[in-house]
Amino acid sequence: MTAPSFASMAAREWRVLGCDPWLLSLVSWVPLLLFFLMWAIFSQGIARDLPLGVVDLDKSRISRALIRHYDASPTLATTGHYLDVQEGAAALRAGEICGLVILPANLEKRTMLGRPPAVDAFVNSQFLLIGKLINSALLQAQGTFVGKIEIAKNLATGTPVFARALATAMPIASQVTPFFNSNNNYAQFLVSAMLPAIWQILMVAVTVLSLAAEQRRDGLREWLGASPVKALSAKFLPLILLFWLHGMLFLWGMYIFLGWPMHGNWTLLLFAQLITVCASLAAAALFFFLTLDAARGLSLAAAYTAPGLAFMGVTFPVTDMTLPATLWRGLLPISHYIEIQFGQVNYGAPLQAAMEPLRHLVFFVVPLLFVCYKARQLGAVPVASGVKQ
Amino acid sequence: MSWWALCRQELRAIFTNQALLLTVFGGVLLYSFLYPLPYTSQVPREQQVAVVNLDGSQLSRRLERMIDATPQVQLSARGLSLEEAQSIFLERKMAGIVVIPQHFYRDLLQGRQPTLAYAGDAGYFLVYGTVLEGLAGPGQSLAAEVKVSRLVMSGQVLTLAAEQHSAIQLNLHPVFNPTTGYVNYVIPAVFILILHQTLIMGAGILGGGQNEQRLMAEKGYWLEAAPWKLLLVRSSLFLAIYWLLCMYYFGFSFSFYHIPHAADFSQLNLLILPFLLGATFLGISLGLLLPRRELATLLVLLSSMPLIFASGFIWPVAAIPGQLTAIVQIIPVIPAIKAFVGLNQQGADFADILPLWQQLWLCAAFYGCTAWGLLRRLQRLSRS
Repeated sequence: MTAPSFASMAAREWRVLGCDPWLLSLVSWVPLLLFFLMWAIFSQGIARDLPLGVVDLDKSRISRALIRHYDASPTLATTGHYLDVQEGAAALRAGEICGLVILPANLEKRTMLGRPPAVDAFVNSQFLLIGKLINSALLQAQGTFVGKIEIAKNLATGTPVFARALATAMPIASQVTPFFNSNNNYAQFLVSAMLPAIWQILMVAVTVLSLAAEQRRDGLREWLGASPVKALSAKFLPLILLFWLHGMLFLWGMYIFLGWPMHGNWTLLLFAQLITVCASLAAAALFFFLTLDAARGLSLAAAYTAPGLAFMGVTFPVTDMTLPATLWRGLLPISHYIEIQFGQVNYGAPLQAAMEPLRHLVFFVVPLLFVCYKARQLGAVPVASGVKQ
Repeated sequence: MSWWALCRQELRAIFTNQALLLTVFGGVLLYSFLYPLPYTSQVPREQQVAVVNLDGSQLSRRLERMIDATPQVQLSARGLSLEEAQSIFLERKMAGIVVIPQHFYRDLLQGRQPTLAYAGDAGYFLVYGTVLEGLAGPGQSLAAEVKVSRLVMSGQVLTLAAEQHSAIQLNLHPVFNPTTGYVNYVIPAVFILILHQTLIMGAGILGGGQNEQRLMAEKGYWLEAAPWKLLLVRSSLFLAIYWLLCMYYFGFSFSFYHIPHAADFSQLNLLILPFLLGATFLGISLGLLLPRRELATLLVLLSSMPLIFASGFIWPVAAIPGQLTAIVQIIPVIPAIKAFVGLNQQGADFADILPLWQQLWLCAAFYGCTAWGLLRRLQRLSRS
């Protein structure tokens, strides 16, 4: 058997991709569809009009004004009005409303007499994000309303200057600046982490399936032949280019097409993507060569990549993860990549900051060496084992 | 084929299929520990914050100590100017900055309103929320103290003053997840997804593998048995396996992670039944459609993230495009997450989740019919 040239093997790889409709879809329209879907889910970016229930036991001018204040908050919409607490609580349990505010009887009277009434708010914190949004919206609406009452009171009882009345009502003002995501856009926060997670799932799955395709066609031995390393690199090179293209595509989508702010260095970011692609490929090849079976290899790949987002440290901070969690995190290429992406995009971090995650990514050469060793073994053994079952 | 023979054939097909066993038992077990792993601390604590104190008064230092004492943040760097704090913030990857303005103490004494400035890294939502909580709380306490002392100075009795510093008080009570823990938030919904996805994978791997053999013109018992009989046996077996796994998740895992479980045992089972049936039939249908068994794993893997985010427990359903929400309603996991979280986490009555329960039965019926139709067609094809 004459050894085919690298170029002809790489060209063959393109043909293999083209022949298998599943692989072809996975490298063409499926990534686009998934990227678009994930963005579409969060495209509104800011949660508005979360349903709030109200039990007004006072039915006075002040209680109605307070309810209007809650309703005026862009985050809240008072959709449920209940006659008693039981009814409201049932609606909260049934999930019809995300929060329940109870305005006590004598609210107006006690406010006027200067004996502060207490408004109780029950917020569904099972849905953590929604609960937090409602919490802060309620605090803000309440703060404004109480401030207004107190200013009016101060103006009526002897401080004629408005600024003084304001300072008496609220002795300390506060100013809050959200860095790097100035309008608290949820899409900008989560989608920028979700797309890399999906990207890694796709890379690992396609690599496993494409190796399995060789096994199905002529058997691994035939394919790896006398020069397994060449066969492997001829397979990986086109895949690397395709995956890199997908990576560029989602970056383009987020930071150029949608115009989200990007403060960093594009070259560094793209280079980090390339290394991430290679690392993911190495991990995926390891799964396949460990099992030599598409279904089991893919099951391992699923277990490995599916919880990727949870370990990235975007939704929950890395500093609060336990040691086993950070260890598992270290095994996922995408968690190192996301550090570089967030560093570049948000902070415009210097090159040195990217060195550590890049160094970690280089360790994925270990599974790659194992894969080469295993491939060498498979290419050398007689037909009996490691070939088509 | 007799019932007993069919049962034996099915049992052998399931328990000799390594890929299936790895996915179903291995997957469910692994995920029950792996998924909660990053969240075991439940809430982020002691986020690193830089302080810029331009005032230097005794009161401003007290405010610093108050901020440092909160569980949410820790003052771990000091900048002499805002610029310096910003560069420390970037360099040491800190989570926030607080600036106490010049003349803070003097302005407070003179009855002018000084402004405290807080900044947080909004690139990470949970961190940002935690930092703001930690920074804003002490500021508000200090403001309340100032008001009380002013009231006392103007002749009010201290006990009354302490009560009267705010015209209307607001008491916020988080319910269903009172500690606002992250495990309690994510895990109940994700576990439903894991059960659903591994079940579909398992049924899909089994069916897809058999379909693969059919395409290679091999005969199989499943092509001879009556379709309804085969479906009944197969779904019962998967139901039995997954009922046990459900008990493991809802029983052992929930207790292990101290996740509240409010549902009544019989009601929980009543909900598990249509959920598992729907997912099994969906998996069987997929297996009959797919030419190779690994493709079932692939489809399930790729659909997991869109499904969990479209299910409405992270991002409110009302904010998700309507067409998308409408399409995913035919996947059993979507109503199931809502129903299970409602019943088990929020203590909803069964009447509240009745529409979701009915939807799950509809899904089960729909996929049951689909599986039956597909199986009948394949059997005819292989006979001709």
